[in-house]
Amino acid sequence: MKTKKIIIGILILGLLGVFVAYKMYHKPHVNVADESADITLTANTILEDFSSDETMANTKYLEKIIQVEGIVSEVKTANEKGIITLKTNDDFASVLCHLSTEATKKIHTVKVGQTLKLKGICTGFLMDVVLIKCEFIN
Amino acid sequence: MKIIYTVLACLFFVAISNSQERFLTKNGTISFFSTSPMENIEAKNNQVLSIVDAANGQMAISILMKSFMFEKALMQEHFNENYVESDRYPKATFKGDLLNFDAIGDSKTKTQVKGNLTIHGKTKEITIEATTLKTADSILMTGEFFVELADFGIEIPAVVKNNIAKKIKVNFNFNHKPYKK
Repeated sequence: MKTKKIIIGILILGLLGVFVAYKMYHKPHVNVADESADITLTANTILEDFSSDETMANTKYLEKIIQVEGIVSEVKTANEKGIITLKTNDDFASVLCHLSTEATKKIHTVKVGQTLKLKGICTGFLMDVVLIKCEFIN
Repeated sequence: MKIIYTVLACLFFVAISNSQERFLTKNGTISFFSTSPMENIEAKNNQVLSIVDAANGQMAISILMKSFMFEKALMQEHFNENYVESDRYPKATFKGDLLNFDAIGDSKTKTQVKGNLTIHGKTKEITIEATTLKTADSILMTGEFFVELADFGIEIPAVVKNNIAKKIKVNFNFNHKPYKK
């Protein structure tokens, strides 16, 4: 009787372990649309931070959900994903917002020259600050 | 006085020709595949910066490691935290030359690209074969090559040795456009 109880106990623990492992393995990606932004700023501020001290900006912004506001300078689609460029005071650098699949469907409403708010995940700085999985904020 | 004018004129033309001869893309694609008996892993990066100097065939590529998107969030986490250590090495770069750049024209040509690839803080010289196509307003480059993890000091723990291939297949696709501004 006692051994039976122990075996059942071990089995339950085992099943729980498998369940937790399965859950961890299939952990979902961050859903930008449902999350609120970690940091809210303008296209100018984030670019200035990256161009003055990239290492510090990396620790501050990378993998965070950033809400950015700026003036649209270019709208295009590549590989079925929309890309919106936000203008900054620097002529050669901007904030590149790569839209999510959902947001790409609404890209036709965006006009060059308008002020736009977007939130997305910051992945770093090349020539421009790059945000991915961007969603529109109304 | 004459000399000054000549120098100024030369500088002016150099400036013009330079601005017209640089081709670039900010949304190049790099994807990689690891095939192993246990599982297949695939990741894609659509934010690659690649620049080709049409005057001499030099090229430079910059890749943000955190821009690689995986099917599973856990894979992405492991990739960034344990394998390529993206916080310490946020970028991978390639600097090199398109060999035989003058031979590239408006039909698809196989071209060798030779240069230094830096991943995870380690640099290695590689030669890649790319299919290239050059027109007046674009330079298209596609191809694939293999990266050996050991060459870049990327260690895979024994527990997951069977889940991750030692040689990773990398695909790239860059559509460079003339850089204006």
